Amino acid sequence: MIGAKVLLVSAAVMCLALTGLASSGIEGSKHDFSSQDWSGGDKCAACHVTKKEDAPSNAPLWNPKADLKKRFNHQDNQVSRSGDGTRICLQCHDGTIAKPIVPGVKTTRFVHTKHPQTFTTGHGRSDHPVGVIYPAFSDKFHPTTTVLSKGTVLLPHGRVECTSCHDPHNQSDAPYMLVQSNARSALCLTCHKK
Amino acid sequence: MRRQIITICGLTILSLLTMPPRSRADESVVNSPHDLSARGPGPVRAIHENEICIFCHTPHNGAPQTPLWNRENPRTHYRIYRSSTVDARIDQPTGPSKMCLSCHDGSMALGNVLSRPLTHPIMMTARTIPPGTADLSNDLSDDHPIGFRYDRALSNADPQIRPPEVISATLPLGVHQEMHCTTCHDPHNNERGDFLRISDQMSTMCITCHDLKGWSHASHANSGKRTTGRTVDPTERLKYATVADNGCINCHKIHSANERERLLRFRREEDGCLNCHSGTVASFNIASDIRKRSSHDPTRRTKVHDPVENALTMRRHSECADCHNPHAAAPNPIGLVRGTLGPLVKGPNLRVSGITISGREIDHSNFTYEMCLKCHADGVARPRLTTTRQVSQTNTRLEFQTSNPSFHPIAGPRRNADVVSLLSPLRVGSVITCTDCHNSDTARAFGGSGPNGPHGSIFEPLLARNYSTDDFTTESAQAYALCYGCHNRDSILGDDSFSRHRRHIVDIRTPCSACHDAHGIYRGQGNSVNHGSLINFDMSIVQSADSPAGRRIAYEDTGRLAGNCTLTCHGFTHVSLPYSNAGPRKTALKSGKISRGGRR
Repeated sequence: MIGAKVLLVSAAVMCLALTGLASSGIEGSKHDFSSQDWSGGDKCAACHVTKKEDAPSNAPLWNPKADLKKRFNHQDNQVSRSGDGTRICLQCHDGTIAKPIVPGVKTTRFVHTKHPQTFTTGHGRSDHPVGVIYPAFSDKFHPTTTVLSKGTVLLPHGRVECTSCHDPHNQSDAPYMLVQSNARSALCLTCHKK
Repeated sequence: MRRQIITICGLTILSLLTMPPRSRADESVVNSPHDLSARGPGPVRAIHENEICIFCHTPHNGAPQTPLWNRENPRTHYRIYRSSTVDARIDQPTGPSKMCLSCHDGSMALGNVLSRPLTHPIMMTARTIPPGTADLSNDLSDDHPIGFRYDRALSNADPQIRPPEVISATLPLGVHQEMHCTTCHDPHNNERGDFLRISDQMSTMCITCHDLKGWSHASHANSGKRTTGRTVDPTERLKYATVADNGCINCHKIHSANERERLLRFRREEDGCLNCHSGTVASFNIASDIRKRSSHDPTRRTKVHDPVENALTMRRHSECADCHNPHAAAPNPIGLVRGTLGPLVKGPNLRVSGITISGREIDHSNFTYEMCLKCHADGVARPRLTTTRQVSQTNTRLEFQTSNPSFHPIAGPRRNADVVSLLSPLRVGSVITCTDCHNSDTARAFGGSGPNGPHGSIFEPLLARNYSTDDFTTESAQAYALCYGCHNRDSILGDDSFSRHRRHIVDIRTPCSACHDAHGIYRGQGNSVNHGSLINFDMSIVQSADSPAGRRIAYEDTGRLAGNCTLTCHGFTHVSLPYSNAGPRKTALKSGKISRGGRR
């Protein structure tokens, strides 16, 4: 009986440890623009409108000022095919507005390399493909169900988008607003069978 | 109490079942030697960084190379592999190979990744890859070549290379069909050790590309002998326990080979063989044979032998590989004894180059003597004579021509009915081999316990049995044991052929070699009258004599078992001194070795 109690207690402690790491959310994160003059103290206004009628499309009440077609649809099949989850991010993260992703490494724009699934960012650098259909049946990748069952990585419309790995609302408090911690490359290995 | 135990067991099983399944670490980069994160298994790892992929890949701001590469390419100029037998054009490594070399050439800092500023690299336990097997250095000449095109042109040029379409199913080539590190290695999967794509047990990996002729039946591919007890490198651990399992890596090192050319494990060619053939791993002790007084000693020269050498111009040497092809050598068929072996090459000498009796170079010797003729015939490397004779010939190929006036039947049968002394199973018309005389004194074929073959003997020149050539040798079975091995001593001393044999050999104590030249007399230097019956006098024993035709040494064949000699020997002067043994004699009739009226 004592053993059972010990087991139960340890299970409870484990649960607490797993769920107890409370996420901090958008507040105070780098996406919290409420202190900026232009935002009018609104955390959400940079990307979202409050009324449905103001939004250009149904989900998720995008701010019409965020021009989704800006820069990224010229001859750029990959980006133009990509969903909002990518295009809304690139509004700022093409290096013109947002800070470069990595300190000291300035991102200016996203163009395609010869390799169909990789972008280069202007000065000979490459980025993970976005807007691509997740290769669910490749032996180099885990099946879609396995990926989604982890509950962290999203594959909107079966595609890999920025929001597959990054959570703009910073709910996990992982560095780089990742959807989960990448310790032991856990995020990479969610999809990649390596 | 019983209920409690059941509850505890149940809960334990339940907790075990609900635990997340542990991924098999050896199939993944996680926990492999390429897991350089702070929790990685190896001595080389990061101090704080806990991501695994980041040392090579980055999701953003990677190099413009395809797998989101996170490292600079090395700008090193590498020393590349060279070999006299390679048909590929080997260039500097490119593409994926350079990515591997960005760590494995030992020059670039492991923690310098593109996603970090140069001023803040990932802190590692070692700045660069530490010296050891993983450090290939900028000298790639001791590693398996990469950076060459593996195309049809290559497989056409080298018959021992399989066509690229055969291998590409298992081993991927580069975009231009070039071989890379990643052809053999999968950097993310260490399931088979050394990140190999397929197992190297029984050389599976190597023979995917290398189609070594004869390998499937070779001893080295099939021997179940354990490799413990090697003599040259007894402490080095081979990957597998048996010769067959290790296969190629018994002798070759794919990386950082001690002998660059052909990636051998030892600088001295013979060490690769003697490592096992010293009475430890292999059945027979070759090492003890080659230390004998007269031997084909492979330790005398190093780096002279080359598989593509020209037999005519090569420097004198004898390496194991001159007579043995380690990729094709197979066991001897069981049960064959001397005299019945025939002249065909035996298992251990399969697929070895040679020179035919007509002087043509061939890739695969069909007859044992063809291997011998590489050194003992037309080439500059042939040995000098030790006996001065009437006519001298160092070219053994000429001595054994079947059109010669007389010769021992190496290259073909000789039908000389005068030879009445042959012991069964030999008979007139039999063909023998060089190794019927030149062999180890302890060879199994001669009743010993050692390996067959002319490796070394206490009897010079590399003879299987004693063969006295000194004048005044007291005749005994031992003194001319070599000759008596085939020629019946009773018949010789019974004067069955030459009617004065007993007088010469026993009474006057002249050796066989005083009159007979064991190999043969080239047709360009003598005819069947003067040099029949292998007569070619040893000038240190036999002198010339005054005769009506002037001062001379001469033998003249005057018919069946008859002739005359003009010479001086042991103070006796013969001037056209005749002998005759014509007609059937007792012993000859008894053994039925003379055919009546049989003439050469």
